[in-house]
Amino acid sequence: MRIKFLSVLIFLFVISKFSFGQNQLPGTSAQAPSAGYGPQGGSGSGAMQASNVLNPNISAIGWFQAEAGHRHPGPGDANERDDAFQMKEAELAFQSIVDPWTRADFFVSVTPDNVDLEEGYLTFFRLPAALGLKIGKFKTNFGRFNRIHTPETPFADRPLAQQNYFGEEGLNGPGGSLSWLIPNPWLYMNLDAEVIAAPAGSDNPSFSRANSKDVLYVGRLSGYYDLTEAWNVAVGGNCSYGPAGENFDPVGNSSSTLHTRLYGIDVTFRWKNIRRAIYRSFLWSTEILWSNHDATSSPVDSHGMFSYIDYQFAQRWHAGVRCDYSQFPTDGSKHEEGGLAYLTFFPSEFSQFSLQGRHVQRDDGASENLGFLKSTFNIGPHGAHPF
Amino acid sequence: MKLKNLALMLSLLASPSLLLAGKLRIVTTTQDLASIAEEIGRDNVEVISMAKGYQDPHFVDAKPSFLLKLGKADLLMIVGLELEVGWLPPLLTNGRNSRILPGQAGFLDASAGCDILQKPSGPIDRSMGDIHPEGNPHYWLDPENGRIIARYICAKLAELDPAHQKDYRDNLERFEARLSEKEKEWRFLAESFNGVKVITYHNSFPNFAKAFGVQIVNHVEPKPGIPPSPSHVQELIEQIRSEKIPLLLIEPYFDAKLPMKIAEETGAKLLIFPPSVGGDPHVKTYFDLFDYDLKLIHGALTPGGVPR
Repeated sequence: MRIKFLSVLIFLFVISKFSFGQNQLPGTSAQAPSAGYGPQGGSGSGAMQASNVLNPNISAIGWFQAEAGHRHPGPGDANERDDAFQMKEAELAFQSIVDPWTRADFFVSVTPDNVDLEEGYLTFFRLPAALGLKIGKFKTNFGRFNRIHTPETPFADRPLAQQNYFGEEGLNGPGGSLSWLIPNPWLYMNLDAEVIAAPAGSDNPSFSRANSKDVLYVGRLSGYYDLTEAWNVAVGGNCSYGPAGENFDPVGNSSSTLHTRLYGIDVTFRWKNIRRAIYRSFLWSTEILWSNHDATSSPVDSHGMFSYIDYQFAQRWHAGVRCDYSQFPTDGSKHEEGGLAYLTFFPSEFSQFSLQGRHVQRDDGASENLGFLKSTFNIGPHGAHPF
Repeated sequence: MKLKNLALMLSLLASPSLLLAGKLRIVTTTQDLASIAEEIGRDNVEVISMAKGYQDPHFVDAKPSFLLKLGKADLLMIVGLELEVGWLPPLLTNGRNSRILPGQAGFLDASAGCDILQKPSGPIDRSMGDIHPEGNPHYWLDPENGRIIARYICAKLAELDPAHQKDYRDNLERFEARLSEKEKEWRFLAESFNGVKVITYHNSFPNFAKAFGVQIVNHVEPKPGIPPSPSHVQELIEQIRSEKIPLLLIEPYFDAKLPMKIAEETGAKLLIFPPSVGGDPHVKTYFDLFDYDLKLIHGALTPGGVPR
C-alpha cells in the first residue's frame, strides 16, 4: 500500500515537472500567442520546437457550387456529380522557397470523392542562359487555359474541348518542364519543352499508356507584345505527342502502341486602362486544337475550340460569355457545341459569387440547360493577381 | 603567370554586365524609387520603372514584357512591405535573372531603415480589408525617408559599381543638400495649413501627414480595397460637415465621381493628389512630388486659391 502511494506521489511529481500547460518560465509572462514571436526563453528559442518563421505560405480556396437543371452528360463530363449543392473542392496550397536555388509549390485538391495532389513541383529559378526548370507533378503548358485551376477560372465548368480532349483534370502528370526565354530585343518569347508520364487507363481521353514507362511530350512557343499601354496580345503554338493505348493484333499475336498527336493555337487580347485598373478590363481568349488519334483501322482527325470574353464593367463586377465547339478524339464525325454566360460579383479580391447559365447541344441531339451559382473564397497570404 | 592572367580575364568577363557595358541597369517597381535612383546614379545608370506613377501600385499586371526588363537588370529596387506582393513574385520566379533575387547583391528593398508607420500589433485578418501586415508601404512620402532611401541606393550602387563610387557619393551629397534646402521651403509652406483635417481615398499618406502636420481623419474607402457603401458615404458627409473638413485628397487612379458628389454636398474641396512621381504630368522628380502636393494644399486653402 505504501509503495503504491509513493508511486502515485512520484508519478504526480513527474507529471507536474513536465507539463505542457501555460507554465511560466523565469523572465517571461504567460500570455496568449501574439502575431509576432513568442516570449523570450519560450518555444521561440528552438529548444522545444523550431520557429514558425520559415513555415510555408499556406492558403486555401473553397469552391462551392449550386446547380439547377437536368444533366445530359457527354463523354467529357460523364463522371461529374449533378447534386443541387456541392462543396466541389477545397484546394490547399503550400508554397515556399526550398533553398537558394529552388522553390516548391503544392496544390492539394480535396473533393467529395477523393484527395488528390493536383500539382506539386520544384522550380529551379537560378539556372543560366535564361532557362527555367520544373520537376514534379504539374499541369502542362498546352495552351493557356490548361494550366488554370477551375476555381480560378471565370467558369463553373471547363470548356467542352478541354473536357473532351484532356479530361476533367486537364493535361497533367509527373515529369519535367524546361523553359527558355528566347533572347531578342523585340518581344517576350518563350519555349517550353515538357515530358510527363503518360496517363494510365481512361484518365485522359487523348492519351493512355501502353507500357508503364510510356511518356508524352508537350511543346509550346509563346509570345507576348504590348500593343499600347492598355492593349496587349499573347499568342501560343502548342503540340503534344504521346501514346494512346495498345493495339493488339490477334492474327499476328502482336501488339503495337497507338499514338495521339495534338496541335493547338491560342490567342489572348487584353485591355486595361492602367490609370483606372481596378474599374475596367477586357479579355478575349480563343484556343483551338486539332487531334490526330491513332485508331485500330485508321487515324482519326478531329478538332475542338472555345472562345470567351470577360468584361469588367465596374470595380466588383464582371460579365462574360463563352462559346464551345468540340469533336471527340476517337470520333471526328460527331460533335457537341454550346455556350455559357455569367455575371460575377467580387465582394473583395478574396471571394466571388457568379451566376452562370450553360447550354450544350450533345452529339445525340439532346439539349442540356444548366444554371450554376459558383462561389469561391480564399484564405491565406496575398497571392499574385492572375494575368 | 599567363594562365593566371587568362583566368583573371575570363572571370572578369563572366562578371556582371556593369564591368563590360558602363551603365548600370536598374529596374524599380515605382517611379518614386526610379527618381531617387536617377538622382544618385545620373549618367552612370539607366533606370526603368515597371509601374507608372498614375497607376495603383497594388494592382499592376505582371506582364511578360516586364520579364525582358528584369532579365537584363543589374539591380532591382522594390518598395517592399508587400506593396508589390500581388504582382512581383511570379516575375521574379520567371525572370531568369538570379542576380536580382532577394538576398542577392542586385536586390534592394528600399524600406530598410525607413520610418514605417502603422505596423499592426496583435492579430490581424482580412476583416480589416486588404491590410498590409508589415506596415504602411507609402513611406517615401516623408522626405526624411527619401534621404534614407538615397543613402541606401548610394551604398548599393557603390557596391555594384565601385569604379564610380565617388560619383555616387558626390551625387548623394548634392541630393541631400538640395533636399535639406527644399525641406525648409516645404515646412514653411506646410506651416500655413498645419493641423488641417483631410480625408483621403486610400490610406496612402500617413507619412506625408506626419511630415507636414496634416491630420487624416478618414478615408473614402471604409477599409483598404473595399469600395465605399452608401452608409459610409453618409458618415463621411456628416463628418465633413460637423468637423468642417476642408479637403478631400484623391489619388489619381481612383474614380473621382463619388468623392466629387461628397465635395458638392459638403462644400469641401476635392484635390486630385498624386502620391507618386509621374502621378501628374507636372510631377517629374521626387522634389516635384512635394512641391506639387504641398502647393496644391496651400492653394486650395488660401483664399482665392483654385484647386486643380
